[in-house]
Amino acid sequence: MSAAQNDPVLPEQLDNQLEATLKEIGIPPRPAILEEISREMRNPDPDFNRVAQLISRDVSLAASFLKTANSPFYGYRHKARSVRDALIMLGLKVAARTVAGVILRHTLPSGPNMERFWDASDRTAQLSAWLVQKLGEQPDVHSDDAYTYGLFRDCGIPIMLRKFPNYPAILAEANRDPERPFTEVEEAYLPTNHALVGCLLAQSWWLPEATCLAIRHQHDFVLMRTGLQSLPSASRRLIALAQLAEWLLQRLTGLSATREWDKMGPACLAQLGLQEADLPALLEAAKAFLAEAYSED
Amino acid sequence: MPRITPARTDAFDPMPSHYVEPLPSQYDSLAGLLDREGCVQVASELLTATDPAHLQPVAAFWLNIDRFKQINDSLGHQAGDAVLAELAHRLALASGNQGHLARMGGDEFVLLVSDCSRAAAEHIARDLLAAMSQPLDIGTMRLYPSVSIGIALATPQDNARELLERADQTLVQAKRLGGAQYLFAGEDMQRGRLGKLLAREELEVEEALHKALENGGLSLHYQPILQVADGGLEAVEALMRCHCEGSVFPPSRFIPVAEKTGLIIRLGEWSLLTGARFVSRLAADGRRLKVAINVSRAQLTAPKFTQTLYAALACSNAPAELIELEITESLFMDSSDIVQRNIRAALEAGFPLAIDDFGTGYSCLASLKDLPAKKLKLDRAFITDLAHNPRSFAIAKAIVHLALDLGMNVVAEGVETAEQYEILSGMGATAIQGFYLARPMSDRQLDEWLAAREP
Repeated sequence: MSAAQNDPVLPEQLDNQLEATLKEIGIPPRPAILEEISREMRNPDPDFNRVAQLISRDVSLAASFLKTANSPFYGYRHKARSVRDALIMLGLKVAARTVAGVILRHTLPSGPNMERFWDASDRTAQLSAWLVQKLGEQPDVHSDDAYTYGLFRDCGIPIMLRKFPNYPAILAEANRDPERPFTEVEEAYLPTNHALVGCLLAQSWWLPEATCLAIRHQHDFVLMRTGLQSLPSASRRLIALAQLAEWLLQRLTGLSATREWDKMGPACLAQLGLQEADLPALLEAAKAFLAEAYSED
Repeated sequence: MPRITPARTDAFDPMPSHYVEPLPSQYDSLAGLLDREGCVQVASELLTATDPAHLQPVAAFWLNIDRFKQINDSLGHQAGDAVLAELAHRLALASGNQGHLARMGGDEFVLLVSDCSRAAAEHIARDLLAAMSQPLDIGTMRLYPSVSIGIALATPQDNARELLERADQTLVQAKRLGGAQYLFAGEDMQRGRLGKLLAREELEVEEALHKALENGGLSLHYQPILQVADGGLEAVEALMRCHCEGSVFPPSRFIPVAEKTGLIIRLGEWSLLTGARFVSRLAADGRRLKVAINVSRAQLTAPKFTQTLYAALACSNAPAELIELEITESLFMDSSDIVQRNIRAALEAGFPLAIDDFGTGYSCLASLKDLPAKKLKLDRAFITDLAHNPRSFAIAKAIVHLALDLGMNVVAEGVETAEQYEILSGMGATAIQGFYLARPMSDRQLDEWLAAREP
């Protein structure tokens, strides 16, 4: 081989395909600010002021972070008035995930209808976190875990939309399918599925193992119905919380109904120790919660 | 006479239905489990009650806690007892009313399940592995326990002792493969390596790995591989580093632990995506550079391996042809369906393949001609004493020539001296990797290294 063929630094060597993919870059590596927070977390003696400064550099990030920390679902009696307050209140670990959730939306590719997608994700996430409070905290799933999971659960979808032009039609078919698992419908047309893509993204953003696995297996109703231990109980609980939250939201708004509840509902209720008869009261309470959480909007 | 409950009809329940209630007197009073004698007796009863024409066989699961002696030795017997009690409790919970649980002494347990197909047994084994591997806090230390399981399915000729003995022997094999896994009797096809780490250190490494996965403590370093012909950059190999609380662990310390605990899958997927993103990032800077990424046995035998490859491409926008998958020789030679299917699928997806660590497995040179790899990496074991050991020299030379004649590129790894470089380039090796030419470096260091090479 000649030197020219081996040399990696000649731009004219890029073939057309590569050039085409280059234009699409913008798929999120882990944002630098999260790397910085992680570095502080790895420090045996972390400096909260430094992290507060990092977050405060971006005004909109700081505002969203503060708003999330003060959300009713966290259930703190005191309100954080500064980023530093919020850090102390939440702790670095929870704070890092909250920041990740805030950034996620702005990092992923946007497109038509994405605003609605993110609003729904946010509401599902808030409702999931609220459900944790409502149903009683479990040692392995806290409100912030449920909130983060709700935000990240479908983060594979924007990536799939970007990558595969025929994805909207596949998504619609998967939403309508009354029998097959959602991801199986995707795999009938595509070499991968949004749950796996989301799991890889979540892993690379250093989300906890239970959250990553819950993203990966979110549509695996066989695993949910059999209650097999091969999926950690925390993951199963996260899946059930978000699925119930999604159903509550769809019932309250009448928007984008899917068939997921038909497939997963009973298993999710069983996982959460609920009965069908508990649902009407939950719907009422969820309505009141959403009204409170979004009163400023 | 044992009572038999009716079969459950739930179509999604893979668990067997045949549940026999044992007599309370047979229980080990300490753990509330059957003792050794009770176990043999119940096994006999189950075998007698099994009509092979209508029921699936009786399955015996023999479990042993991995590294239990190390836990005892390093943390004390009191901690050991606490671990034992907790794991026995989990075992009872996880097995539910699916069978009969016995403590065979020490940290050895047996679960007997009747009317149990191979698939059902596999489900149960996976369940047990998952339940037992949940973290466990002992004082200030967080342990990540695991168990090994030997499974025997009864044949019509088996008596209770034969069945249990087979399960026990299979457990020993599962242990030898590295632990944290189940194995069916008569299905031992793989050879793993035993961890050589000391007890305490191994537990610490495991804890560090878990922390690193939640705190962003993993990174990839990249080691250049240079062409012999013109010094051009052939590729870089991605090598994982694990940082935790000021210490940096090299792969030789944490990979064996990750393999034992199953974390290797997540590590592998993480490096795949991180390496793929690095390819994209370099490409965006106008550098078309191939990154070689190691693929573990656990990844290649897991379901959804191919979908994961495509997911990494979707997340990174990297072209597959710039991500070389390094698969060890022994894995390439693995005849199991899933491995061969996954290797073919990776090839179809456009990933170039390289045979890693060649010369260390049970190499069958004849099968080299059938392997779909374009590159062979000669193991460093031959390189170290190349200059002084005529046998190593002869083997290395034979491998290099054979691979070249088969149209493959040959990379020599672990080259540390000018003498080794000269010998290998004289033999005709296509490319060289090693400290003699370049160390593994962080992505930023590699940027600088690349920039320094530019004219």
